Amino acid sequence: MLEKFISFMKMPIDGVEASEALQRRHKPDHWFLIICIILLAIGLVLIYSISPALADTTGVSGSYYVIHQAMAIALAIIAFIVTAKVSLSRWRSWVKWLIAAAAVATMIAIVLPVNPNYPAHRWVRFAGLSFESVELVIFAILIWFSHFLAVRIKKGWIANYKRTLKPVLGAFLIIGGVVAIIQSDLGSTGIIVIMMGVMLFVAGLPFKRIMMIGGLVVALVVIAVLMFPYRIARLETFLHPTSNCKGSGYQVCQALIGVGSGGISGLGIGSGVQAYGYLPEADNDSIFAIYAEKFGFIGSVILLALYAALFYRIAKIAEGAPDDFSRLIAFGTLVWISTETFINIGAMVGLLPLKGITLPFISYGGTSVVFFAAAAGLIYQVSAYTSHASGRDMNGLRRRAGINDYSSHGRRFGGAYHPNLGGRE
Amino acid sequence: MWESIRPNLSTVSGRIRFWSVILILIFIGFGLRLFYLQVIRYSHYKQAALNDQLKQYQIPATRGIIEAEDGNTDVPIVLNQRLYTLFADPPFIKHPDKVANQISHIIGGNPSSYLPALKIKGTQYSVIARKITQSQSNEIRKLQDPGLGTKGQDYRVYPDGNLASQVLGFVNSKGVGEYGIEQALNPILAGKPGILKAITDVNGVPLAASKQNTQIAPVPGKNVVLTLDLGIQQQVQNILAKEYKKTKSQGLSAIVINPYNGHIKAMANYPTYNPANYANVTNPSLFQNAAVDYPIEPGSVMKTLTTSAALNTNAITPNESFYDPAHWVINGFNIHDIKIDGGPRQQNIQSILSLSLNTGATWMLMQMGDKGGTQITAKGIKTWHDYMVKHYLLGQPTGIQQGYEASGYVPPANLRDPSIDLRYANTAFGQGVSITALQLVSALSSVINGGTYYQPTLVDKIVSPDGKVTIEKPIVKERNVVSPRVGRELVPLMEGVVKSYLHGGSTFMNYPPNFIVGGKTGTAQVAKPTGGYYKNIYNGTYIGFVGGNKPQYLIVVYNIKPNVVGYAGTNGGQPVFADIAHMLINEGFVTPKD
Repeated sequence: MLEKFISFMKMPIDGVEASEALQRRHKPDHWFLIICIILLAIGLVLIYSISPALADTTGVSGSYYVIHQAMAIALAIIAFIVTAKVSLSRWRSWVKWLIAAAAVATMIAIVLPVNPNYPAHRWVRFAGLSFESVELVIFAILIWFSHFLAVRIKKGWIANYKRTLKPVLGAFLIIGGVVAIIQSDLGSTGIIVIMMGVMLFVAGLPFKRIMMIGGLVVALVVIAVLMFPYRIARLETFLHPTSNCKGSGYQVCQALIGVGSGGISGLGIGSGVQAYGYLPEADNDSIFAIYAEKFGFIGSVILLALYAALFYRIAKIAEGAPDDFSRLIAFGTLVWISTETFINIGAMVGLLPLKGITLPFISYGGTSVVFFAAAAGLIYQVSAYTSHASGRDMNGLRRRAGINDYSSHGRRFGGAYHPNLGGRE
Repeated sequence: MWESIRPNLSTVSGRIRFWSVILILIFIGFGLRLFYLQVIRYSHYKQAALNDQLKQYQIPATRGIIEAEDGNTDVPIVLNQRLYTLFADPPFIKHPDKVANQISHIIGGNPSSYLPALKIKGTQYSVIARKITQSQSNEIRKLQDPGLGTKGQDYRVYPDGNLASQVLGFVNSKGVGEYGIEQALNPILAGKPGILKAITDVNGVPLAASKQNTQIAPVPGKNVVLTLDLGIQQQVQNILAKEYKKTKSQGLSAIVINPYNGHIKAMANYPTYNPANYANVTNPSLFQNAAVDYPIEPGSVMKTLTTSAALNTNAITPNESFYDPAHWVINGFNIHDIKIDGGPRQQNIQSILSLSLNTGATWMLMQMGDKGGTQITAKGIKTWHDYMVKHYLLGQPTGIQQGYEASGYVPPANLRDPSIDLRYANTAFGQGVSITALQLVSALSSVINGGTYYQPTLVDKIVSPDGKVTIEKPIVKERNVVSPRVGRELVPLMEGVVKSYLHGGSTFMNYPPNFIVGGKTGTAQVAKPTGGYYKNIYNGTYIGFVGGNKPQYLIVVYNIKPNVVGYAGTNGGQPVFADIAHMLINEGFVTPKD
């Protein structure tokens, strides 16, 4: 067993080629960085404004939450610098170590006794610090899967059942078994599956296969829901949120009250009430409702616009990425962040069922902030090597995926305009 | 337009754009949803928020304390202590067993006994425990359980245990006085609760800086200083407890009153209870102050009032003698004396009281109608009725500050009643009329003090929260009850009764020479609920005074159905009076003769 593991770790990494990293460096995307900083600042100010309320209901000192969030942001800045400075090819070469670290962290989280307040095996605790293992899992999967797909794009195996789909389905099963069932973290499982699925789609998997995987995932989700009665209850709560405002629908009802009572312009930053114990997880999963209560419709739309701008920048970076790996890293991060954002806000406005998912960059919680910053660092690095030849590999995509319906629109970003880059393939 | 932005799914960037379009659609969806929630449905959610967040509270007013005189200072006999009620909001209790264990750790008790209150359905307020201390309440709050809460409430504390308990009454769990002073003076003691309307946190703690907060401050209750003298009160209670056992009584009441202003110095009953444990009292009759709410036919103690009325109407003179036939036949019934005093012979007013002659009392009623006559006349009945009801104010509440006061009963002077003569003959010696001990002693007070009926009172002073003292002036309910002469004439007659008992061998009726003590016994037949009287059951009563130059205190004793040898008044009422009179003299409460 051990020998097998060691030999696995010693195996050469497929497809890491120095040539892919040899791109001309230019100025990174400052707008992307500025938007990230604005979001972090909004989060910090929001945590600061509800600190007295949180302290009131939990009995810690008034500055506890702000100090912790500021410390998390400091760690996040370090993580950002590390991921931005260490070259992508190096990250790619560490992929097995990352996966191993994620697996070890998950195992520790499962083995450690649970905290009575959060009876789920999701946390690694030591020396007064706590760490949510699944964030590392997502980060590791992002890098591993980008690498995995980049190799298969290069070799034209994307649509190959044995080489691509079988390992992906296997990964789904392992993640589903460990994260969804043992850690009972359906939300994070959903994030991972959506992230991997959309990355597959972007990597050129034909629609038929996507449909097949989608159908399988839906079936698994149905099974996962039916296996745990509390998930059925949550689903019912989602379908009829106001029918049981005192019981299982409490958080949804309070979230809607928070959002709705904000009105057009909000109550003002110092005036929200829902954080005073009414809305559970006010600092975390429910923070959007707290924001909407304080800043109203106008503030909420501004926040949505900030996220939209962020996603636009990431999509742009992904489009202009110099190679498949870095493009998949950027795009995967886009899917990760956007899905968490939508699942979180969707639950707060009553459009999606409630999940324990944080609002990227804004929610209180060190692990989430640190790993989003780490992912942002990777994107920032990619943004320094982008070109505008985003459509350059059209032919390659078609070829790899076996797509034969040739569309004339594809030529608009065709490689012909940038033969020097396109020829790299 | 669409042509230019439609993503080409055959390219990577096309697929990225396809995903971007999905994101844009989701953003638009969220924007519309936010518009719906925050703009269109704003007032709905605003109201829902206020329903949850805006709470109205009563701010309890501090209840006034009760004090009484002890020596020359006023000392508190009822105080307040703030204790807490622990309650649950059961829908928020997620793990009842765990919570029950936590509660048990803090306030003790068996965890399983808390489970029903934690699990009860259909309510958001279930009481788990009452009267926990402030530190226990703080411990509970530290648990941070949204399903648990504590609420402060003032509880009454009684430093002197059962002292004057039936006079005081108690305060129930809703903060309302029941029985006694607490009930009668509830509006004064309770004050006025304030109102707080406030945006609160989820535990109901008001948030300081909220524009919607409004507050009306509570008005604290006023303190009440009683007329009771705690020294006398305590001793009277001790005497009653002792005599209750000695006379095998079924209930014993006594009042000590100042006849010149109606101030009650002691008022007690036995058996009694401790108001701190009122909730554990199984027999509610223990709450009653029998001295004011248990009227009985008083028996021969009434003869003091009959004599006074006859003296005041000049129907008799104090030294008058008359021929006593030993029995009268009235409406076909024989009225004779309980004591066999050697048959018909000449008697006087003193012997009517000393020997307690029913024939003598009947004769006085005859004289009130027709001086020198031997018939009961309509004038006599009307005069006596007028004295009972309009002079002595019998058969009606005195207005004492007590929760429940009985009125008693005086038969109407209905001259068409064929047996009205017999009825009224009976009332002349205290049968067929029912009055409370307080009515009796208040009426005789008005005779002794020279003719002014003061409303008997327990309240000396009322002290406002700002320290302003209002002295309660005596309320005169009736002037010219009798002329001052009558009191002066009655005092030696009642002293004569005491002396006759002393000469008859009742050595305990011997008092120091520099004090005056007078009295009158009563052995009252007890009416059956079905009509007629019990053959062997009597109530023993006594009314008397003790003083120096003049009577200083009036004392009334009602002993319900004592099991004693001889007359109930002589051996059930008189010894209790004697104990109280001796105590007042020996403890220096009475000013001796100059």
